[in-house]
Amino acid sequence: MLRPRPNLAVIIGALLGLGGLAAIVLSTPGLVSDALGVSLSLSAPARAMLIVAAASLAVVVVFAPERAERSRLLGFGLAGLAGMTAIAVAPTLDVVILILLALVVLQAAAPAARPFSRRVRAPAFAVAMLAAGLVLTRLAGPSLLERFGAVGLVAGLVAAVGALPYMHEFDAEESTAASPIPWAAFIGPVLAVTIVMRARELFPSAAGAFGAMLIGLGLLNMIWGCLAAWRTEADVSAWRYSFSGDWGLALCGFGLALPEAQGAAVLILSSVLLARLPLYLWSRQALRDKVQTDRPLNLLVAAVLAGSAPFLGFGARILLLHSATALYWPLALVIATSLLLWVPSSLRLGRSLGRPKGPQLVGIVLVLAVNVALGIFPQPLLLLAGQ
Amino acid sequence: MTEALAFAAWLGAALVVLSDGRRGLALGLGLVGAALAGLALATSHQLGGIALLAGGLVAAGLRLRDGPESWGLMEPGSTPRIILTVVTGLFSLWIAVTVATGDQASLRFAVLAVLGLGGARVLQAREQAASMTAISSLALALGAAAAFTGGDPGLTPYVIAAAIAAAGSALSPAQRIGT
Repeated sequence: MLRPRPNLAVIIGALLGLGGLAAIVLSTPGLVSDALGVSLSLSAPARAMLIVAAASLAVVVVFAPERAERSRLLGFGLAGLAGMTAIAVAPTLDVVILILLALVVLQAAAPAARPFSRRVRAPAFAVAMLAAGLVLTRLAGPSLLERFGAVGLVAGLVAAVGALPYMHEFDAEESTAASPIPWAAFIGPVLAVTIVMRARELFPSAAGAFGAMLIGLGLLNMIWGCLAAWRTEADVSAWRYSFSGDWGLALCGFGLALPEAQGAAVLILSSVLLARLPLYLWSRQALRDKVQTDRPLNLLVAAVLAGSAPFLGFGARILLLHSATALYWPLALVIATSLLLWVPSSLRLGRSLGRPKGPQLVGIVLVLAVNVALGIFPQPLLLLAGQ
Repeated sequence: MTEALAFAAWLGAALVVLSDGRRGLALGLGLVGAALAGLALATSHQLGGIALLAGGLVAAGLRLRDGPESWGLMEPGSTPRIILTVVTGLFSLWIAVTVATGDQASLRFAVLAVLGLGGARVLQAREQAASMTAISSLALALGAAAAFTGGDPGLTPYVIAAAIAAAGSALSPAQRIGT
């Protein structure tokens, strides 16, 4: 009915989305509701990630990339946001994994260039790993089972967001909604926050091993992601690897298990949602046209992507380094050294944005402004995340 | 009785791994659903068991609608898959019976075997029918795993699992487009 009237579809979708967002903003973190016969509660970090994801979706829809239909973008985005909200409020980790599986099936239903079986392979395998990990942690027996469970949950989480060593297959010509990008840059942040928070309650005796695995995979993603984003041949693959680099920082933050490091992880994931994702979407047309420019705007975008001062990523990196120093200083040394790897890859990605104009240019300026504001004053975001 | 149900669950999951035709996949999925439902009923989760049974049977029925029209059982080149089903069964049995302790050993074995074989099938499948059958079996195993929660898991995980299993089989082939 709404297909011939895309503007009406956008208005109705926007109203529904605003209603849902209002419900999330007005909710009280940690308060359990049994109104629907199921115990639902929303944690502060998951609530913060949902609000940031909704803001990211609003920016992308209002300043839609060239050749993108606003109604389709909004439709896919709202479906994803509904799934993310269900993940965030789910009563148990079983239900979280089942909702993730439902999202896998829904995304696979979208038309795409790759065959169906190749598109569902990585996310469905992630569900199997998460489920196996969860079952193993729940079995009575020696502590070895908890450790096996921790391995399953970490591997499943990394596979779900498409970070190394479980990168999803990527086709540059595929629509973003059907590609692995939503797992890495839209659904991933809420999923990661939810799984990490609930996993820690499952296996207190294996919490150290869980954190160590997250840090190890985080370092792998940081170093490999940044090197690959710098050296890979295709610019679109460079963008893909750059998401892995950011996930490396976030995984390290989650693994360090200090409140400050958790705050750093939330800020990094917010910068993925509020900077890297919209900038990637706006760069797609320039990537197709193979346009590269070195204007001041491209350098500013490179600075945002590299996490330099005064942008949002800088504060996150400082918090992460501070936590790593407090826990084990050689780790801080490794992280600090690897942060330098962001510079060449970010300069390359900044150039690949081309010469944006019209709504995209306004959107980029807005993204820069928001990242400067949150970089200088990240406290509201940290308070929202309960840090 | 529960041992036979656990064996049936493994056999169903093995059929999902070893079949490429719609009949073999449907039979495997139906067996997985019925066996896991039986195990849920045996662990006093009556409503959950009924939901899993309904989800498994509906999914198996819908699976007969598309996919290659044959049994497609153990076609040439299936030796690695046969080995996979046996090794996964033995590994699940070792974890469920030897490593883990307490009651519900049959349910532990069934859930681990179906999760392992379903995950492996998702990685290996080349056709939509096989992928979606594997996803449906994963959903059913996840639903049955709700029995491992300390308290009463409620009906929610069972109903969601059954709905995903049925939706997985009902999904029409996605249109392939170039961009």
